[in-house]
Amino acid sequence: MADRHAINVTVNGVRYEATVESRLLLADFLRDQLGLVGTHLGCEHGVCGACTVILDGRTVRSCLVFAVQADGADIMTVEGLSRDGQLHPLQEAFRDKQGVQCGFCTPGMLLCAYEFLQEHPQPSEEAIREAIAGNLCRCTGYQFIVEAIQEAAARMAVASR
Amino acid sequence: MKPAAFTYVAASTLDQAVSLLAQHAPEGKPLAGGQSLIPMMNFRLAQPRYLIDLNRVSELMYVREVDAMVAIGAMTRQSEAQRSEVVSRLVPILSEALRWTGHAAIRHRGTVGGSLAHADPAAELPAVALALGAELVAQGPAGRRVIPAEEFFLGPLSTALGPDELLVEVRFPALPSGAGWAFLELSRRHGDFAIVGVAAVLALSGDGRVDQVSLALCGVGPTPVRAHRAEAAVLGVEPSEGVFREAGEIAAQEIDPDSDLHASAAYRRRVAAVLVRRALVEAHRRAREGR
Amino acid sequence: MATMAPARKWIGQNIPRLEDPRLLVGRPGYVTDLVLPGMVHAAILRSPVAHARIVAIDASKARSLPGVLAVVTGQEVKELTNPMPDFGPDPSKHTWWLLATDKVRYAGEPVAAVVATDRYVAEDACALIDVTYEPLPVVVDPEEAMKPGSPLVHEALGSNVAYSRTFVFGDVERDFAEADVVVRDHLRWNRSGAQPLETVGAVARYDPATGMMTIYCNSVTFTFLLFLVANTLRIPSNKLDVIPCPAGGSFGSKFWAVRVPILAGMLAKLVGRPVKFVEDRLDNLATSDHHGSDRIYDVELAAMRDGTLRSLRIKVIDDYGAYIQFGVGTHGNSLAQVVGPYKIQSVQYELYAVLTNKCQQGAYRGFGSEVTNWVVERMVDLAARELGIDPVEIRRKNFIQPHEFPYFIPTGNMYDSGNYPGVLEKALQLADYQGLREMQRRAREDGRYVGIGVISAQERSVFSATEFWFWFDQPTGITSSPESVTLKMDAMGNITATLYSQAFWGQSPETMVAQVVAEEFDIDPSQVSVIYGGSASGLPATGPGGSRFTIMVAGAIQGAARRIKDKMLKIASQRLEVAPEDLEFAEGAIRVRGTPEKRMTFQEVATLAYLFKLDLPPEIEESGLEANYTFDHPYTTMPSPDRKNLGVFYPFVGHACHIAVIEVDVETGQHRFLKYVAVHDAGTVVNPRSLNGQIIGGVAQGLGTTMYEQFVYNSEGQLLTGSYMDYLIPTAMEVPRVEIGHQETPSPFTPYGIKGAGEGGRMMTPAAVCAAIEDALAPFGVRVNEVPVTPEKILHWIDEARARQVAS
Repeated sequence: MADRHAINVTVNGVRYEATVESRLLLADFLRDQLGLVGTHLGCEHGVCGACTVILDGRTVRSCLVFAVQADGADIMTVEGLSRDGQLHPLQEAFRDKQGVQCGFCTPGMLLCAYEFLQEHPQPSEEAIREAIAGNLCRCTGYQFIVEAIQEAAARMAVASR
Repeated sequence: MKPAAFTYVAASTLDQAVSLLAQHAPEGKPLAGGQSLIPMMNFRLAQPRYLIDLNRVSELMYVREVDAMVAIGAMTRQSEAQRSEVVSRLVPILSEALRWTGHAAIRHRGTVGGSLAHADPAAELPAVALALGAELVAQGPAGRRVIPAEEFFLGPLSTALGPDELLVEVRFPALPSGAGWAFLELSRRHGDFAIVGVAAVLALSGDGRVDQVSLALCGVGPTPVRAHRAEAAVLGVEPSEGVFREAGEIAAQEIDPDSDLHASAAYRRRVAAVLVRRALVEAHRRAREGR
Repeated sequence: MATMAPARKWIGQNIPRLEDPRLLVGRPGYVTDLVLPGMVHAAILRSPVAHARIVAIDASKARSLPGVLAVVTGQEVKELTNPMPDFGPDPSKHTWWLLATDKVRYAGEPVAAVVATDRYVAEDACALIDVTYEPLPVVVDPEEAMKPGSPLVHEALGSNVAYSRTFVFGDVERDFAEADVVVRDHLRWNRSGAQPLETVGAVARYDPATGMMTIYCNSVTFTFLLFLVANTLRIPSNKLDVIPCPAGGSFGSKFWAVRVPILAGMLAKLVGRPVKFVEDRLDNLATSDHHGSDRIYDVELAAMRDGTLRSLRIKVIDDYGAYIQFGVGTHGNSLAQVVGPYKIQSVQYELYAVLTNKCQQGAYRGFGSEVTNWVVERMVDLAARELGIDPVEIRRKNFIQPHEFPYFIPTGNMYDSGNYPGVLEKALQLADYQGLREMQRRAREDGRYVGIGVISAQERSVFSATEFWFWFDQPTGITSSPESVTLKMDAMGNITATLYSQAFWGQSPETMVAQVVAEEFDIDPSQVSVIYGGSASGLPATGPGGSRFTIMVAGAIQGAARRIKDKMLKIASQRLEVAPEDLEFAEGAIRVRGTPEKRMTFQEVATLAYLFKLDLPPEIEESGLEANYTFDHPYTTMPSPDRKNLGVFYPFVGHACHIAVIEVDVETGQHRFLKYVAVHDAGTVVNPRSLNGQIIGGVAQGLGTTMYEQFVYNSEGQLLTGSYMDYLIPTAMEVPRVEIGHQETPSPFTPYGIKGAGEGGRMMTPAAVCAAIEDALAPFGVRVNEVPVTPEKILHWIDEARARQVAS
């Protein structure tokens, strides 16, 4: 019989109780059991970054965490970035700068940028490129993503004054 | 690619982890950050029957200044070590090496101990451990023992840890006061494993000669390599580009790299010579500037 | 069709993308997000060996695993399906089945498929399938594969050369005889591939009561050829409905990726439940059926002392892998622009399509023409070096001039319009070319190796179906490649556009459609609703590919809009009591020219059209305001019977100049970009920001092919770059910032003068980067004639060049 465990996890502010097989990847738990399909699987071996979520305040690759390990954790996915239908400044900036083409890398990029801007509110272009170097994008060539992050940083700086 | 089935158990204390490991040996595998193990499991190249999760063993998560050393609990996240004030003050070469280790999301899960215990020949932390003469503390059912870095790495993915032992702590001696250091890496893309990496520490005596030097390389053989002969060529000598160039040439002869898809042995040797020279130049500059 | 006077309101604007709102919150509806009640999951077992007879398959343990509904092997495939759709030279002899049947022909070829309650269990079952292989000798070198006595990939073919022919266009012999100088080189373009972040996936459902097979899929364009898919599935052609799902990137690899939807369909029918099959990354790398070009070239370029380029002799061996589903269509792409932007008068093209034990080729951004761009530009640079002429000057000298369009190249294809000197000037200015050469001079004095690569090349768009069959004298093949749209204005006056192919891959089809509709009707693009129709109720559509989509769908929109507008004018003319010629469309209304207060809103006209039939003018036969339009290729001509002229098959040709500035570290072979400039001329631009995004994305992929990505097979046919740990996709640290300039030389033949532009970035970068590296290493006399360029290769070339200098 499969090895199953009960877990409690909070995702985007909502508490869930679930029973998961020990080998179930966190990404599959979020997508298949919670229906939060914004987290994408691009490689399933920790290279592409499309599966990035925020776990206990830190970005992680959800294809490299088992759901059972997230028992008691507080998780944010891309679905939690917007509040009450209001887009986060990062999402608005991605829209305004056309930092999105196919959208597959976008949730991972947004969360990576979200964490990065918390610690580096006025980043240089070079620092941004290094920060997102763990998130592959095949469509944009990264430039408009970098501009979107710069734009978001500027808007968030204004908002926080 | 989904992993094969396994039985999962989470340890909450070190003692529990050690006894679980003993209990389930040889089929029990400790799970630290998972950034190396879980990809292998997703490929089904690794199919452990029991996973002993160490991520709740909080007693192994710390960075402490102890005498003239930095003691890091094995389960300390790489990103925590990277942002630690103690680390950047006493062993800044480690902070720098961590910058080259994967990407932020990987460092948020990956652990200092996990990287050392995994012993990938191209990994950065083993080279730093070797360069600094770190001590690795293992714990098994029989108790604790301290393994010097130069005895720890035995082969690719193979260490001196026994099958029932866990790495619990690594102690890095603080850099000598006024010492310079450098960590340089050549990889195909930023964040990839090193094709060649070099960790260099260099201290000068009052007259400007080299008083202490240590050089360790990764990516250049089955284990990280301490370039003793290259060090000897630099020790006691007045530094110059020529001296450092020669040290590089000597280091290139001390290593026995493999050829693989991404680089041939000959290329690694050649680049090792260059990086050793450049690392010594940079370490020397830092030493002179007192940084 | 003259282009419209450029007093345009919406075409040319950077409006926010319609596609973005759902993408930004992670809800675009990718196929792998789809859940149907009762849905089960499939996984495939891939062959671990490159060439072997399948002796036996024991799936008993797999079948009895709890949760497993079915295990299918090649045996069952032969009973349940027909061979895969195949446009190759001789499908009966290089037959492609859904799963390997008698033998496996490449490492990674699917051997079995499992259906189970979830993907984890399906993979467990795959691991329990026991396949007995009898190894056969492996052939991975295409030149070895051509030799008699080589192991045969398809015994029935009797050879590994699936196709070979020499084409001669113009008087090659004379041009070479009269040339002052002939430069020669041997070039190697190694294999890479599209690798979008989302793999191919499908969810299939079969209803035995109606016999209807419904397949949701992120691939499959060519909706009018779906009867081929139905034929493989052994269902009637009118019982297949393929419903497009937005795709997470494609770059060609989802253009007719038929294996995944066919497998899902076959399994759904077999198990009686909806089946989801999504490739994982290892599947996609090893067996996507869409690897890129893999070519060996021997090329001669004949030139005059004054720099005039006369003729090209090209011999190309293309390693197609184990199957050849698209025939040699990738070389049609090459022949469309084989002389580049130059007045080269004759071309000889000797082509060998060779089969080996590798995954087959498909489509990758450029579809083969990006390779020829690289080859031609490398040869032009070689000629410049040999003749002692500046690389910019030699290009300028040989350009087709603005007044010479439309221009027919030796192969018969036409370049519709262009201003190549203008693009070059713009690029040189944007890059501050004089300043760059000055900087290079100083850098060289400092012992640094800095290089500048300037290249000019073409970007053809909108292929004709002829390029898939003009390789043979007989038979002639299909000549249609339509695109359709349905426009509907409802009773409230709101417009919906329905598209009929797999339109969204990450470019901005909905945004572009909204802009064109807005332009046609003078409304705001945000008011336009864009939806997708499935194939069963759909009109013929070829989908995005060969940068055709914008032009073709714009043509379809213009056609449908005209039908609706004519009807609206008739209604308004009667109501407003003026002749239709005195009416104009403005700001969501129809009004009398000169008397704007005499108007009817769209809603007023539409309400009449839908609800008040008896009040409509008698010449209007039907109520409603809906129109279909199928737009066919606006300029195709047939090839000549002797194939000395291939006709016009790819006539809307854009152009670009890329300038790369690179510094090389000659101790390690590493490089860094100092600058990258791209000036493109894609005719009329619909959404400039969106186009720029495509260009930069294309540059990134071009850079990947040039320096990082390769499908590497060892001598045993094992794919060594089988995961993203080894198949290296450039990150934000490797891709430079691209400075973009534009020129718009409209096409005389297309809607709005638009030219296709989606592939262009990737079609230029390899040539520009190689030219820059070669220029950086000019002090050594290095020649760059292979991609990918790696740091180790750079050092090797420097060593070789140094040895040559010492020897001489």
